[in-house]
Amino acid sequence: MYLKLAWRNIWRNKRRTLITLSSILFAVVCALFIESIERGSHDLTVENMTRFHTGYLQVQDFRFEDEPSLDNSFYYDPEFFGSIEENVEGIEFTVPRIDGFMLAAGEELTRPAMVLGILPGREQRLNGLVDRLVEGRFFNEGESTAVVSQGLASRLNVAVGDTLVLLGQGRFGMSAAGKYYISGIVKLPLREMDNQTIYLSISEAQWLLSAEGYITSLLITPESAAQVNILAEALSQIFEGTEYRVLTWREMMPELIEALEFDKAGTRMFMAILYVVIGFGIFGTILTMTLERLREFGILLSVGMKRMKLAAVVFIETLLISILGVLSGFGLGLFLIIYFNINPITIGGDGAEYMLDMGFDPILPTAIAPDIFFYQGSVVFLITLVISLYPSFKILRLNIIEAAKK
Amino acid sequence: MAILQTKNLSKVYNPDTVPVHALRDVSITIDKGEFTSIVGPSGSGKTTLLNMLGGLDKPTSGSVWVNGEEITSMKESKLIDFRLHNIGFVFQHYNLIPVFTAHENVSFIMLLQNRSKKEIRERADDLLEQVGLGDRKNARPVQMSGGQQQRVAVARALASEPKFILADEPTANLDSTSAMNLLDIMNKMNREQNVTFVFSTHDQRVIDRARRVITMVDGAIHKDEYRDVEETAEN
Repeated sequence: MYLKLAWRNIWRNKRRTLITLSSILFAVVCALFIESIERGSHDLTVENMTRFHTGYLQVQDFRFEDEPSLDNSFYYDPEFFGSIEENVEGIEFTVPRIDGFMLAAGEELTRPAMVLGILPGREQRLNGLVDRLVEGRFFNEGESTAVVSQGLASRLNVAVGDTLVLLGQGRFGMSAAGKYYISGIVKLPLREMDNQTIYLSISEAQWLLSAEGYITSLLITPESAAQVNILAEALSQIFEGTEYRVLTWREMMPELIEALEFDKAGTRMFMAILYVVIGFGIFGTILTMTLERLREFGILLSVGMKRMKLAAVVFIETLLISILGVLSGFGLGLFLIIYFNINPITIGGDGAEYMLDMGFDPILPTAIAPDIFFYQGSVVFLITLVISLYPSFKILRLNIIEAAKK
Repeated sequence: MAILQTKNLSKVYNPDTVPVHALRDVSITIDKGEFTSIVGPSGSGKTTLLNMLGGLDKPTSGSVWVNGEEITSMKESKLIDFRLHNIGFVFQHYNLIPVFTAHENVSFIMLLQNRSKKEIRERADDLLEQVGLGDRKNARPVQMSGGQQQRVAVARALASEPKFILADEPTANLDSTSAMNLLDIMNKMNREQNVTFVFSTHDQRVIDRARRVITMVDGAIHKDEYRDVEETAEN
């Protein structure tokens, strides 16, 4: 009967209940949506950075991190690394790369460029690089042509069919110079990379840089992103006592982690303001309900209902409204999150430029993650529960005579 | 047999600022089966006395005894329980639970007493029959007239089988027919079941039915008279 009393009390003033429900629903939807967009855009950035730049895990020479030079490249033994790829649990595939900075010159302009020697088939598997061609074709392994990123091509004023000259320093100070036919232009999702990357086949790059058989990094793609740390530990044990060192993407890109944390802090601040505003909204309706019903509370206490029981009934009322609000917020939030996951919001104009400068793609996809629902639902639910303590507190301290006079 | 007794009951509001003497040394004894009206002008202390008798307010000095037990020194949690089992209340504004039906309103008090479902159902049915609302038991307060609501309130007050019923201006918001109807019901319960009623009232119709009338002036008992009601009614 107490539950019946609580449930009927909820619907006794439908408008007030609907206002409270709407406040909670709005809070849940906003919190879910903001968190989901933040998570989605961060995941996309990390995904792009790892797939095009560092990989989730990298094997390097132990000296390379402090001095990223070709002198600190390492011999790529296909048999040794092949057996690791085959035998270590959790590795999906590996991608060898050799990279070095050189000067790239077109007919009139010269720009610094990062030359990346790659195996096109493996890169395609890692990041769909070949599919990002906007013009021309990708080279085959061993072919002596270059694929230039779109931003750099524009800066050098070169196009497919033009010749590109690369000039720099190879391994152990050897001079490195080459002339390459541009077979394709590729659009990379990270602006910084798009403005400076030239792809050569790995054997061609090794020859150019006087580093035949050597690579600067071996990217390791785990079967799932969640396995990164476990896999890093397993590989570190295998490489113990050798010159190889394993680094995770977090270790390789601390500045990215900082940027993401900075962005998260801003979102948290906004969320905190949102929680406070919505919390006061909910408190307003609960306060009105409490004051309207003081007389009724006084009467119930007069006729013999215990304060704790009455407080419990009123608490159950707010609890039921909270549950209804949070669940309906989940429903609407899930719908919006799925919709914007399929159709991400695209940012245009200055906003897009700002995001590109920050290293983010100017799109806002939503992330569908159960923990977001759990966390945000819990926060809003807790806020509501804390607010609902007010009527209970009021009942526990109510002066029966004063209340009955109201 | 004394069912209700006050000894030198006094109540002073705002003792440190502007003292208001709501009750002055009130000593009364009410026996089982009495049909008593407490009357007097506004501010004479009727409601304060009723609140003291019901254990809703604490006196500044003096004591209240119910069935030989002093309630003025009881702790609140015990007092709430005591009220639930010993005192029935009828309020001027009916004060039924708006979301409950008549039957549920009457049942609720018994639920607080942890009675069995069967007993609750049967007693609520019986009480609603007694107050003439057997056919309105599924109606909610908003679907009933003031007189009907007050009859439900009487049934609710009786549901807990209290030692006595305190009724604060029970007919104040009722038309003549409803007021007389309600008084008939209470009178009948008093005579047939020996239920003790104590009213605070201005209403002459209630005063005319009372067998004892306590008149209060300025917080003190001014007059306490016993009457033969049937003779009064005939007159």
